[in-house]
Amino acid sequence: MMVAAADKTVSTCHVAIRGLGLRRGDHWLFRGLNLVVPRGKFVAVVGPSGVGKSSFLGCLAGLVTPTEGDIEYCCLQLGRHTPANFQGHTGVVFQHNLLVPNSTVLDNVLCGRLGRYPWWRTLFGFPRADRVAAYRIIADLGLAPLTHRWVCETSGGEQQRAAFARALLQEPELYLADEPVSNLDVYLTGRVLGILRQESLAHGRTVFCVLHNPELVERFADLVLSFDPGDPAGWKVREVQR
Amino acid sequence: MNPPPPPPVEPPALKWHERINVFTVTLLAFLLAVLASLPALRGSGRQLDYWANIRRFLGYFFPPDFSVWQETLRALGETFQIAVMATLFATLLSFPLAALGARTIAPRWLVLPARLLMNGARTIPSLVWALIGVAIVGANPLAGVIGLTFYSLGYLGKFFSDAFESVDAEVARGLRAIGADRVQAFQHGLWPHAKPLVISHVLWMLEYNLRAASIIGYVGAGGLGMQLASYYEYYAWEKVATVLLFILALVTLLDLLGEWVRGRITKKLGGGRLGGR
Repeated sequence: MMVAAADKTVSTCHVAIRGLGLRRGDHWLFRGLNLVVPRGKFVAVVGPSGVGKSSFLGCLAGLVTPTEGDIEYCCLQLGRHTPANFQGHTGVVFQHNLLVPNSTVLDNVLCGRLGRYPWWRTLFGFPRADRVAAYRIIADLGLAPLTHRWVCETSGGEQQRAAFARALLQEPELYLADEPVSNLDVYLTGRVLGILRQESLAHGRTVFCVLHNPELVERFADLVLSFDPGDPAGWKVREVQR
Repeated sequence: MNPPPPPPVEPPALKWHERINVFTVTLLAFLLAVLASLPALRGSGRQLDYWANIRRFLGYFFPPDFSVWQETLRALGETFQIAVMATLFATLLSFPLAALGARTIAPRWLVLPARLLMNGARTIPSLVWALIGVAIVGANPLAGVIGLTFYSLGYLGKFFSDAFESVDAEVARGLRAIGADRVQAFQHGLWPHAKPLVISHVLWMLEYNLRAASIIGYVGAGGLGMQLASYYEYYAWEKVATVLLFILALVTLLDLLGEWVRGRITKKLGGGRLGGR
C-alpha cells in the first residue's frame, strides 16, 4: 500500500517506510524494511545486482505494489493527496532512461513538466517559460548542441543526461534515481551527483539514488541503505560520517 | 557473501514442454491448416490445357489500345480523389476506434465491442460497402468515398490498435509515474512510438483504396470501375489493358513514395538502436 498523507505541522520527516516487503515468485527480495528519511537527505541505495534495489525504488515511485508494509509521504502542501496525485512530485530517473527515441531531446526533457498541466494545455506544446527552463538545464548538462536532435541519434551517456534533465525540470519533492551515472565519465558523474546533492541541500529535496561505486557513496550520500543478497531481512542503514 | 558455485560443464537442456512457445505453436497450427487446405488445389477435375488457356486469354490484352488514354486519365483522377478522401476520413475516424480497441489504452469491457465493430466493417466486402453508399447518396463518387471509408475503417482501426498495443508501453508507464495523465502519457509516450507504423499503414491503405476504388465503380460508385465494367461488357480487353497499366503506374508511384518515407523513418530509428550517429 502506498499512502500519501498530509502533515498539519510541517515536519522534517519526508518519507516513512514501515515493514516494507516485496516477494518475487517464491523468494523475498527484502522484508520488514523500516526507514524514516528526513527531508532533504541524500540516500544511497547499494547492493549487488538482482538484490531488489530497482524494485525498492519502484515501490517508492508507485510502479511496484509491495507485498507487505506501507510507505508514507509527508507533503509540504496541506490536504490529502492520492498516490497518483503525488506522482507529479516524484522525479524518477529510470535505469533504462525511458525516453522516446523518435522525439527530440527538448521534447523528452519537457515531459518532466507534464504533471503540472491538464492534457489540453500540453496538446499543442508547452508554455514558453517551460521551454526556456528546459533549455537552461539541457545547456547546463552540456547537451545544448543536441537540443533538437532525436534521442535515438544520441549516445548512451547523452541519453542518460537527458533523462536526468527531465527529472530536474520537474522540480520534484523527491528524486528516485536508478543508477543515473552508469554511462557517464568521471567528470559528468561528479557533475550529475553534485547537482542532486545541491538539490537536497539547497531545496530540501529528498534523494534516493542507486549507486555502485563506494567512493561516490561516501562523497555524496547522507544515509546508505544496503541490501543483503543472502538475507531479505538483512538490510542495513548507516549514516555517512563527514 | 558466499562464493558463487562453479559453472556446470554444459548448459542445462530444455525439457520438451519448455520448448513450447508462441512461435512453435503458431508454426504447428499453420502446418495443420496447410494440410487441411490441400483440397483447394484439386481444381475442376476436367482435362484442360492450362497453358493454352493462359496464352489465349493474355493474348486478348495485347497490344493495349491507348486511344482511350484521355477518358482513362480523367477516370483515374476521380479514382485518386475517391481514394484520398476515403483514406482521410477513415484515418480520422479510426483513431478513436483504435484507441478503444487497444488493450493497453482502453478498459477491457470496451475493447471487445470496438474490435467486433472493426471486424464487422472488414467482413463486408468493399463492393458491398459501395453498394450501400450508392443506396444512400446515389451513383456518384461520394458513394465510393462513403463505401471505402467504412471498409478502410475496419482495416485501419485494427492496424492502429495493433500498433498501439505492440509498441513499447514502458515509456508511457514511466511518464505516468512522473505525473502525466492518461492523454498525456499517450501523446508523449505512446504516440511517437506508434507514429512510424501509423504513417506506414495509412500509405498502405491509400494504395489499397486506389486499387479498390477502381473496382467499386462497377456498382456505380464513380472512378475507373465504370469504364472497366463497360470494357468487360464488350470484351474490349486491349482497352482493359490500358486501364490496368494506368492503375499499375499510379500504384507503383505510391508504393515508391511509401517505401521512401518508411526507409527514412526506419533508417533514422535503426541507426540509433546501435548507439551510433
